[in-house]
Formats: sequence, C-alpha cells, structure tokens
Amino acid sequence: MNAASATPHARLSWFEAGARERLAALLDPGSFEEFIGPEKREISPHLKIFDLPAQFDDGIVVGGARIDGAPVLVAAQEGRFMGGAFGEVHGAKLTGLLRAAKALKRDVVIAFDTGGVRLQEANAGELAISEIIRALVEARTAGVRVVGLIGGRAGCYGGGGLISGCCSTLVVSEQGRISVSGPEVIETNKGVEEFDSRDRALVWRTMGGKHRYLIGGADIFVDDNAAAFRDAAIVALGRPAGFDRKRLAAEQARLERRLTRFGADRDGRDVWRELGLTQADAVPELSTDAFLHQAADHRETADDAR
Amino acid sequence: MKQWDLRGKARQARIADGMAHAAGKIVAADKLVAFLEAVILSGDRVCLEGDNQKQADLLARALAQVDPAKIHDLHMIQSGVVLPEHLDLFDKGVARRLDFSYSGPQSARIARMLFGGKIELGAIHTYLELFARYFIDLTPQVALIAAVSADRDGNLYTGPNTEDTPTVVEATSFGNGLVIAQVGEIVDRVPRVDIPGDRVHFVVDAGKPFYVEPLFTRDPAAITETQILTAMLAIKGLYQPYGVRRLNHGIGFNTAAIELLLPTYAERLGLKGKICTHWALNPHPTLIPAIEAGWVEQIHCFGSEVGMDDYLRARSDIFFTGSDGSLRSNRAFSQTAGLYACDLFIGSTLEIDLKGHSSTITPDRIAGFGGAPNMGSDARGRRHPSAPWLQAGQEADPDTPAPLRRGRKLVVQIGETFGEANAPLFVEKLSALELAEKLSLPLAPIMVYADDTTHIITEEGIANLLLCRDKDEHEQAIRGVAGFTEVGRQRDKKMVERLRERKVIQRPEDLGIDPLDANRSLLAARSIKDLMLASGGLYRPPSRFRNW
Repeated sequence: MNAASATPHARLSWFEAGARERLAALLDPGSFEEFIGPEKREISPHLKIFDLPAQFDDGIVVGGARIDGAPVLVAAQEGRFMGGAFGEVHGAKLTGLLRAAKALKRDVVIAFDTGGVRLQEANAGELAISEIIRALVEARTAGVRVVGLIGGRAGCYGGGGLISGCCSTLVVSEQGRISVSGPEVIETNKGVEEFDSRDRALVWRTMGGKHRYLIGGADIFVDDNAAAFRDAAIVALGRPAGFDRKRLAAEQARLERRLTRFGADRDGRDVWRELGLTQADAVPELSTDAFLHQAADHRETADDAR
Repeated sequence: MKQWDLRGKARQARIADGMAHAAGKIVAADKLVAFLEAVILSGDRVCLEGDNQKQADLLARALAQVDPAKIHDLHMIQSGVVLPEHLDLFDKGVARRLDFSYSGPQSARIARMLFGGKIELGAIHTYLELFARYFIDLTPQVALIAAVSADRDGNLYTGPNTEDTPTVVEATSFGNGLVIAQVGEIVDRVPRVDIPGDRVHFVVDAGKPFYVEPLFTRDPAAITETQILTAMLAIKGLYQPYGVRRLNHGIGFNTAAIELLLPTYAERLGLKGKICTHWALNPHPTLIPAIEAGWVEQIHCFGSEVGMDDYLRARSDIFFTGSDGSLRSNRAFSQTAGLYACDLFIGSTLEIDLKGHSSTITPDRIAGFGGAPNMGSDARGRRHPSAPWLQAGQEADPDTPAPLRRGRKLVVQIGETFGEANAPLFVEKLSALELAEKLSLPLAPIMVYADDTTHIITEEGIANLLLCRDKDEHEQAIRGVAGFTEVGRQRDKKMVERLRERKVIQRPEDLGIDPLDANRSLLAARSIKDLMLASGGLYRPPSRFRNW
C-alpha cells in the first residue's frame, strides 16, 4: 500500500504539501477542472536564457472547482518551483483567472506560496503584479470574494504580499509568513542590526502567522493541516462580499492608528504586550486553542485591505 | 648535577608571573591580554580548546590580541580551527605551526593560508589521535580551556558540553603545563566537580557562557524523499539482516532520516529492541521520537547539543548524567566507544572514488576530519565478538576457520548519487588527491579508506563490498549503485546483474521496498516543532531553527 494514499487530508500538512496536493485537499472531490494545464506547456519564455529548467505549468495551477458545493475559481502557487515566484506566464494565468471571476461573478480562492517576483523576468513579473492587483480590485468591485490562503514554505512575500493585502479575507497558519520585503532583503539593505534574518524566531515574531493574525494582517488563524484550511475557506466564502470607499477609509484610519501605536516597536513581542496579551512572551509556544483564546479579546481586526 | 624537575620549576615561574595579574587564581577579563603575555612564552605548544561544538571564545579573542613582538612562533595544537581568531593568530604572527583535527567553518580560509604559506602544517588528525599525541609528543605547555562555572579554588563545572576538557587538562596539568580556564561565572560552590581545582592554575570570568555551535541539529523539514528512501534501504537492507544494536550515526540528513523512521517504518518491520538500542552519539534532536517510543536503551555523548540540556536531564535512564543531574559528555571516551564498542558507523560524504575511498575535501576547502574516521574504521585491536561483527567478518573471509577469523566493523557510506548543487557523489579522482599534490602532503586527507568501507547506500541500492572477491567486482559494485553519474553510466551491465544475483548489489525492489512509499509522512517528526512537541516541551530549539 502506498503510504501517501493512507494519509487522510486531515493529516496532510499544508506547509509540506505541493500546489496540487493542496488543491486536492481543498476542493470537493472530482470537481476540479484545470485551465491551461501542464499539457498545454505554457512555459516561461525567459528561463531558458538563464539555462534554468522550466515547469509546464510555470509554477501555478488555476482552474474552476467547487468548495462545499459552491462553484469557485482557484489558483495554487507551487512554492517548490522557483520559490513560487511570479513570472510572465505565472502572472498572466492569475490575471486571467481574476478577470474571469469578474465576468462570471464567481468567488476566487488563491493558495499563495511565493517569494515575490521572479528575478529572471523582473519587468514582466512586476507588470504582472500590477495587472493582478487591478484585476483583483475590479473583481471585488463587481461583488466577488477573493480569499487568500497562506501557510506554505515560501510564505507570501514581495508582490505576493501586496496582492494578499487586497484580498477579502486571509486565512493563515502559524507557519505562514506575510510581508513585502523578506528577511534577507531587509538585512541586506538595512544591516543585521536592523533585522537578523538568521534569527528565525524573530522572523516569525514579525512576519509569521500568529503575529499577522494579532495585528489584523490576517483574518482567520488555522492549524497547519489541509482540512483546517478547507474549513476556513468555506467560512471565508460565506462572509459578506462588500467592497466600497467607506470600508477602505475605515481601514486606512486603522492602519494609521496602528502605525502610531506600534511604529516604534522593534519586535513582535513589544506589540503583543501593548495589545494587552497576558502571556505575550509565550505566544510562539501557545497551542492553537490557547492562542485563539488569548487573541480573542486583544487582537486588532481588519476592516478590509491590510 | 642533572636536575630532574626543570619543567615543574618552569611552570612555577609562569604561575608566579601570572600572579602579578591575578587575585588568587582569578584573572579579571580586562587584564587577560597582559596576563597571557606574562604566562605564555614564544615557541610554546598551546592548546586552545575548541572543537566542532564548544569554544573557549574569550581566551581565543584575548590570545589574538597579544603583542606578536612579545609572543610569537606558537605551536597551536587544538581539536578545532573554528573561530576567525584561531586563524588571526597566524596572520598576526603570534602562531606559526598548527596541528589540528577539524576546521568546518574556517575550511576555505585555512586552505588559502596553507597555500599562502602562512601556516606551517604539522598534520591533520582525527580527534582521538590528536588526544593521543597530547600524551606522547605534543603535550601542551599551556592549555586555554572553557567551563560553565568555577569556584575560587579553581574547581570547574564543565556542564553538558564537557567534551575535550578532561583530556586536555589531564595531559597539560600532569605534564607540567599551565591550565587557564574561562568560565561563564564564578560561584561559591560548583554544581559538580568535573575538573578538580588542583589541576587548574588560573580562571577568568567571561561573564557569559562559552560559545557552542548547534552542529548536530538537523531540521526534519529539509529531509527529502530520496533521503527517506536511502534510510529505508539502510534499515531493511542492513540494520535488520545484521541485527545492528550498537552504533554511531554521522550528522547528515540521510542518517537523520533513519532516526526519524525508527518509530514508524522500523516499528512496522517489528525491529524494536532488535536494532539501534545502544549508541555512541551526540544528543541528536532527531532521535527524540525514537527515544520517546522506547527504542533506545543507552547513549553516550561526545558533547551536548544546544537546546537539549533539559531533555537530557529528564531522561537520565538513557544518558550519562552527573550528581547534579545534567549530562556529562566526554569526547575521548565516546570516540573510543565508537571505535571499539560499536558494530556500525554510517555517515554521508561528498566524494567516493572507484576504489571506495571517501572524502569531504573539495579543492579549496580543508574541513579536517573530526571524529568520523575513528568511528568509520575497523578496530584492528578489537577482540570481543558480537553477531553483526562476526557476520560481517564471515562475509568478508568465508574460508578462514571461524576461531581464527577477525570480525568486521560495518562501515557504511550513505548518500544520493547527486548531492548538493547536483555534484556527483562518485568521482574518478578524489579532490583530496589534488589537494595533497598541491600542498605536497605525504598523505591525501581521506575520511574513510576503501579497506574500511563495507557498504555503500544510494537511492539506487546497497552495495555490499564485503562480498566482492576481486578488484573488478569491487569496482563494479560501486559503479552499480552510482546511478546516472559518469561513474555509474560506465558500469559493466552484465557484471552488475551477476553481482545483483549474488546480493552484492541489492535494489529497493530486491528488498521489497517500493520507492513510492518513501514519503515524508513516514517521518516521526516533520519539523523542529514536531521534535519539540515530541519531547514534551523539554527540547528548546535555538532561534535559528524555529519557524514559529
């Protein structure tokens, strides 16, 4: 017997899984129909210049499916191919999906797993980020929900971090990391005194799932397993889809308050103390239940974009 | 008239000179450089304690600051060349000659300095043979050592990372040399006496613990499915048929995978209690799940491991602990145990040649040996029998009558046919040979010699070199598990198939292993956090290994 097939999705680690494994666990069985699948061989036109291997799906799987019976469009980035980075084809697939969402009025779920723009196709990648954000906002304006799931090895960095900030709802696990500049980038530009990228506990205290959830940078916190991500996606898809100027203004005001309140803090722990968490120093060690209990009365909740 | 106590008198003179900079035995940290200039003489043999784990870092920094006009031409004899200061000594001209064992993080710089003639190289040793030479022809005049705490009489508590200290002190102090210890704090009473105060001449309070490198922590998250497959091969194709109970593991990811498969895959094979019960091993965090599942009876350690101290204290049935409850490690004893009382050594390497020699040297890096060759060699002085040792001896030499036949230590190299950055594991010519030519060394730095290597495991299968009857078979057995490397593609296919019929080569399918089963869900822990949880929170991983 194959050991993998004996493992139910409930035990599948989201952090460990690949893009296709995540989709298999996330979606209703047999409901997935892939768009521009690997058989189309829409590979990156740039990587061969650098003598780098391409992947037939360019590191992102997109398609239509059902979650708990409801029709959705889905995308999953493959963090194990070039760190899930956005290249030209990769970006175009997500842009197209979001444009289809607007046209079809169909909700979207994106499983992020990305270090940001692919350096080898920087300009095309940067353009793709802008196109994706535009398509995402237009889809949301048309009443579509865009749910982001973050808990992969590559985290959600660079342009991926920007895109995630535009989603309706973000689901994150403890392992998930969300930021624009990554730890190494900050250290390279600002020095190790500013940020020691090798101090992984610090990375998670400032960019990790628990911290993002506490400061309203993510909306639903789940255990690192595929079934929990599916349950959370169902909850997120049931939330109201509103997206208007009033909400954005409220969120802008919240972010300004947040900056005043925590702007001088050097470490996630400082923020947690100021939030009033009684076990601020123990946050990284807390189990999910204990953490959610602590967080319930103290965390900031986002109005929308974060 | 001949005087017979000159060395003792010389030490007395050094102590008198040192007293001018000390209060009793205690030297203030801000006077350390002047103190060292007073007690060390040019040309001295100096042992600066440090290995692949603990470092006398304060003393290393101070020694690098002495005036080379006052102190020069030191002969450094030390286990590890690890800190930048260890090599600064040679750049500044304080030291000239070097005998050492391990140089992990400084391997590139030490190579450059050797090529540039900055260092006069004595030899690269294994730990055990350098320790041995401390007592024969390399006895230190001064030892600079590290401990956790001291009392005012100089009694030292070296704590879980005792490691080399007792050996260094034994040779130096009883050999008329001077022992100077850095400690993290001075206390009224040490938790246990690891080094009696009458062997220690001066103590300096560093105000913080000595540095320890978490070298033996392998993050399960980085273990690949290929490594899991090699681990399954090792367990089912080697540990099981030989019944290996007493062993040592290297520090690679392949062996970490074996440790994490014990409570899952090996448990399903019904091997609990039959393999892997007694170890000479550092406290590998990846062994926690097997220990917790009751697989392990006893472990003796070379050193400790960062974050493991509370766990070790709470598992004193398994680990050697002192009257204070904390681990007592000892590198010399554990190396001896690995050499004489273990039936198997398994480790990863960077290069294996057609004869089966292996090496971790690359053309521009000299990483030294550490302890692997002590464990990874057949102990010719061994006389006690054990089932795996006798079986291996019988396979190697079926014709000699049993009572006159030597047994054999199982010495196994495990790895993927292509390693990091797709570098082939199998090569026609070792980089170590090129290095020896470049530096005119009389010996190429070989980690494990071909005549000690009994098995090679890759994802393509196991080669049992004990069963090879001539040079051709030996070479084809190696080519037969070398995969798509250049060496592997040049195999004699017919001969390899014949070797397979004789079980000299065994493929995964010959052992009933489906490579598709080699899945990460087989690992008893898939992350550092899983290891922490398996330990009941007793293992406290260092910050750099956490992703929470």
